[in-house]
Amino acid sequence: MSGRLWWLAGGAALLVAFLVLLPFFSKPSGGSGPQAIVGRPVPVIPLQDVDGAAVSLSRYRGEIAIVNLWATWCPPCRAEMPDLQRIDERYGSRGVAIVGIDQGESAQRARAFARSLRIGYPIWIDDAQQYGRAFGALGLPTTVIVGRNGVVARAFDGPLTYDDLRRALEGLLAPS
Amino acid sequence: MNALALFALAVVAAAATDILLPGRALYHDGWFCVSIAAVAIFAIFSARRAVRRGGSAAAIVAVAFGAAIAGFAVVASGLLAPDDRTVVGAPGTDVRVDDLGGSLVFPFAQASPRSDVVLARTGHAPLPVGLNHRYVSAFVLREIPRIVLFVQARDARGGNLTITQPNGVAFLSPVLLMQQHQPIPGTGLDVPYDAFAVPAAHRLVKAVLFSPEQAATMPGLAGIASYAVLFDATDEDDRSLPNGFGVAPAGRAVRVGGISLTGRAIVFPAVEIDAIPSLPAVALGAALVFGGLVAGWRIGAPETRRPEERT
Repeated sequence: MSGRLWWLAGGAALLVAFLVLLPFFSKPSGGSGPQAIVGRPVPVIPLQDVDGAAVSLSRYRGEIAIVNLWATWCPPCRAEMPDLQRIDERYGSRGVAIVGIDQGESAQRARAFARSLRIGYPIWIDDAQQYGRAFGALGLPTTVIVGRNGVVARAFDGPLTYDDLRRALEGLLAPS
Repeated sequence: MNALALFALAVVAAAATDILLPGRALYHDGWFCVSIAAVAIFAIFSARRAVRRGGSAAAIVAVAFGAAIAGFAVVASGLLAPDDRTVVGAPGTDVRVDDLGGSLVFPFAQASPRSDVVLARTGHAPLPVGLNHRYVSAFVLREIPRIVLFVQARDARGGNLTITQPNGVAFLSPVLLMQQHQPIPGTGLDVPYDAFAVPAAHRLVKAVLFSPEQAATMPGLAGIASYAVLFDATDEDDRSLPNGFGVAPAGRAVRVGGISLTGRAIVFPAVEIDAIPSLPAVALGAALVFGGLVAGWRIGAPETRRPEERT
């Protein structure tokens, strides 16, 4: 058998070995929890607001939407909501919308709680806690900022302050 | 050429079996991999002998090389691939699987009609997994239906309460995946259970699921042909509560530890992932083996028909 055939077989063997072994040496991914959904289109799940009206995140296409998952029993959520209200008042006219999605509680409970804190932004009810899973929430509160294109731009686990939110928004509001 | 053909076909047959009947622990056993490697090596030595005897070099090399490729693919899969496993995800969650280079996207449990788990990978179209084998790279996937428990907690006024699973696959999920099992002494039963919290009511709850057959043997549930759920509620410091224990048929509410709990047994898929030898490598190996054998037979056939010409 000619030497050329052996060289050809050897080269082909190396190539095949590489192809065979490649799938077993995949790189582990980064990002877990809510961070894992950054860069993906925001899940649009039909819900109801506290008055029973049908709502969905698709209505905020073209705006920057801050989606805050919360519950009445969660003290950090309670601490964060007044800051979200301030952001709503300050940035609402600049195309920033805030939605608070209660996880797993009744509309009455969520409405009474939001009223007690004088929250003016929309409160929706997710009684099957679907957004909690879709956002990969590791706890409450969980906040996701959706860009004007409907893609998740930032995601946060835990409470945010007014300054945290302002910093997160400034980058998205800056003219491109 | 006969020994070479036998060894080469044995290796290809082993690779094909590994692909068509995946998920056997045998494929990851050391002795199995050593046996396949040995057969492939025998094939190569037989090829050298066949070349020395004056057979068609190209056909013989093709058969030997094909056997080597298929054998290497089987051994690499057996020794280097991750063990076969089942990925259990909560409804509506994405579970990253690095070996597949993407995520398994589990549908919402309430989805109607029933939808498949989807493999989402960058640069590829979403791939529904389904109940039949789905071949992806060096793995085969398929959905395994499992029974999970959808729980609902209500306060005294009937208002919904949040369910959390601090130790579960998904924190904010009312769907218990029931992955743990517990034997019940004296009954011979081994039942699935899971745990959740109701933070607004300061309750920790353990839920044990009984199949319809098991439920039928339980006092108070005889004659009910459905799953049954036992709830055991404690306070946040895991202290027992008065009336903290209750059992009810699935779908019926039971008052436990001051809250009303309902558990519904639903079928929800998990995904079984089995490693298989690289499909392109096995296809190439098999093509070389069969191509080489056919070519060798066509070249050698006239000789076998006229043995007097061999001398």
